[in-house]
Amino acid sequence: MLSIKNLQAEIDGKKILNGLDLEIKAGEVHAIMGPNGAGKSTLSAVLAGRADYIVTGGSVTYKGKNLLEMAPEDRAREGVFLAFQYPVEIPGVSTTNFLKTAVNEKRKYNGLEPMEATTFLKMMREKMEVVEMDKSLTSRSLNEGFSGGEKKRNEVFQMAMLEPTLAILDETDSGLDIDALRLVSDGVNKLRNEERSFIVITHYQRLLDYIVPDFVHVLYKGRIVKSGDASLAKELESKGYDWIKQEVEATI
Amino acid sequence: MTLTERIQTDFKLYATQAEKDSFFEQRQQAFETFEKLGFPTTHNEEWKYTNMKAITAGAFENTCIPSTKNNNYQASVFSGIKANHLVFVNGSFNKDLSVFIEPDSAIIITNIAAARKQHADLFNKHFGKYAHTETVALNALNLALLSDGAFVYIPAGKKLQDPLVILNFIDSGDLNVWVQPRNLIIVDKGADITLVESYESRGEHPSYINVVSEIFVDENAHVEHYKVQQQTNESYHTNYTQFFQQSNTSINQVTLTLDGKMVRNNLHFYMNGTNCNDLLYGLHISEKQNLVDNHTRVDHAQPNCFSDEKYKGILKDQSVAVFNGKIMVHQDAQKTNAYQRNQNILLSDEASVYTKPQLEIFADDVKCTHGATIGQLDEEPMFYLRSRGIPENEARKMLLNAFADEISERIKIPELVTLLENEIEKKL
Repeated sequence: MLSIKNLQAEIDGKKILNGLDLEIKAGEVHAIMGPNGAGKSTLSAVLAGRADYIVTGGSVTYKGKNLLEMAPEDRAREGVFLAFQYPVEIPGVSTTNFLKTAVNEKRKYNGLEPMEATTFLKMMREKMEVVEMDKSLTSRSLNEGFSGGEKKRNEVFQMAMLEPTLAILDETDSGLDIDALRLVSDGVNKLRNEERSFIVITHYQRLLDYIVPDFVHVLYKGRIVKSGDASLAKELESKGYDWIKQEVEATI
Repeated sequence: MTLTERIQTDFKLYATQAEKDSFFEQRQQAFETFEKLGFPTTHNEEWKYTNMKAITAGAFENTCIPSTKNNNYQASVFSGIKANHLVFVNGSFNKDLSVFIEPDSAIIITNIAAARKQHADLFNKHFGKYAHTETVALNALNLALLSDGAFVYIPAGKKLQDPLVILNFIDSGDLNVWVQPRNLIIVDKGADITLVESYESRGEHPSYINVVSEIFVDENAHVEHYKVQQQTNESYHTNYTQFFQQSNTSINQVTLTLDGKMVRNNLHFYMNGTNCNDLLYGLHISEKQNLVDNHTRVDHAQPNCFSDEKYKGILKDQSVAVFNGKIMVHQDAQKTNAYQRNQNILLSDEASVYTKPQLEIFADDVKCTHGATIGQLDEEPMFYLRSRGIPENEARKMLLNAFADEISERIKIPELVTLLENEIEKKL
């Protein structure tokens, strides 16, 4: 489904990704871990199509298409979803209106008629239950005045509504207390299925206790330097990142 | 003949025909004041960025005759709404197009020319008493050569059931038109009115409209006032609106400038009593090389008054916006609460904004804030919306609508909200 080959990217002239390779098949959950500054957020930014990140080499193929050539909105309509580390507050744009537009834009892209208002509202109600989201939040402006936990739940709620095939969770655990973390993780787990793949980017292993990945990769200095299964995350939790750094430095 | 020359000729002509009563003397004096002051130039600090040269050097006819081609006045957005309509075409009162649905005959809605004779006491008591002419050249000019305008009186305790829309059509289909409407609105104690001043132009020739509105708001009265400017890219517009209010009055004022080559709004509130409550909001969407200049002034002359001002601008192309908001807190105006903000979004590298939020405070126990921002549409919200599959253009519209929302939610006439939404849809 997703094939990243030798990906290199920079921001403000600073090289962050240095030849990153990653293969993801349908239905797989891949965790990307790594120390601060390793390039985790750059990877999600490049995949979602942030304009200030410049790809200087390599390729990203998604469902057989060149992802890097697509506008951010086209990536979304092709089924890529980024759950933001810091969801943006947009005063004056209601959550309901925003989601209706997003859902219908995707339908339009796929040659479908706009969704009936009643069907849409029914769908909203169902999907809100995924993250036990309070109904009052959808009538408010998008993320405005939401707590950290509410914002992250809103991200997962949007994910449920837009039904992506590739979901990228960028440090979704940051700023969450243990209850919110459980709610968000439960939501994500409910959305796991055979077609849908996940990239779970996190600094801490904690999140992976709830969202158990099929693969764990360690990102360091813009490359994946170690891959393994869920047990690698446990090892990182107990030993920290230094041993990996040393291993890498030794081989260079 | 330039406008400056035309004014002299027109006044001479008027002077030979006018009845030589006190009204004539008032106008004669105003004319002399105007002659002395002259049109404001960019040397005047208050007109630094707004150049009237195109108007003063232009050739305009002071005519009240509508053109033969473009008199499609029914196409106004206000035609369909349930309201009283006072219609003026090129400054002259059009009785046929006007509509009166107010059942209470004690409420007076008429034109200035008629009111001067039929309601002489009220007229003389208030006319020319609030909008200064001694120092403001354009007010003097308006008084000297006014065409006609609305006269409204809401007696004590009465409420105008439906809004009053003063529809000003400037029709320059045949020639360059120059018009000077004058409105006098008297809202007596405890009375209530919703009022719209609409300015629409028809025709391709240049036009210039110079309006003065005086609105007297007596104790415990409430006024909803909307000014809507939808003129052509060949229209010049200057206006001066003066509210004079007594104790316990409240005013909700919204100014929407949607089109026009050059628009200069002077909006003044004088709080002559205690416990006044004023909201003044404005939004303009400007494009091409057009200019919108909002000069506002709120005089807190008495204690315990509140004012909240918010002006927003969306600028395209090479358009220019000027904002100069002055809050004047007089020495006696203790416990004043006054807020003022001006926010601008530039959609083009070539658009520009000159903003000057001003506070002058002579009392010591007050709460006042002011501020201004100029920026582009934020990239973060834009990217957030796009990352959910919303195309760039649609995302921009959503964000601009959200930006305008703070102003449009102050509008209590649904048709006016729709007009604004359509305008954003059309322009952006």
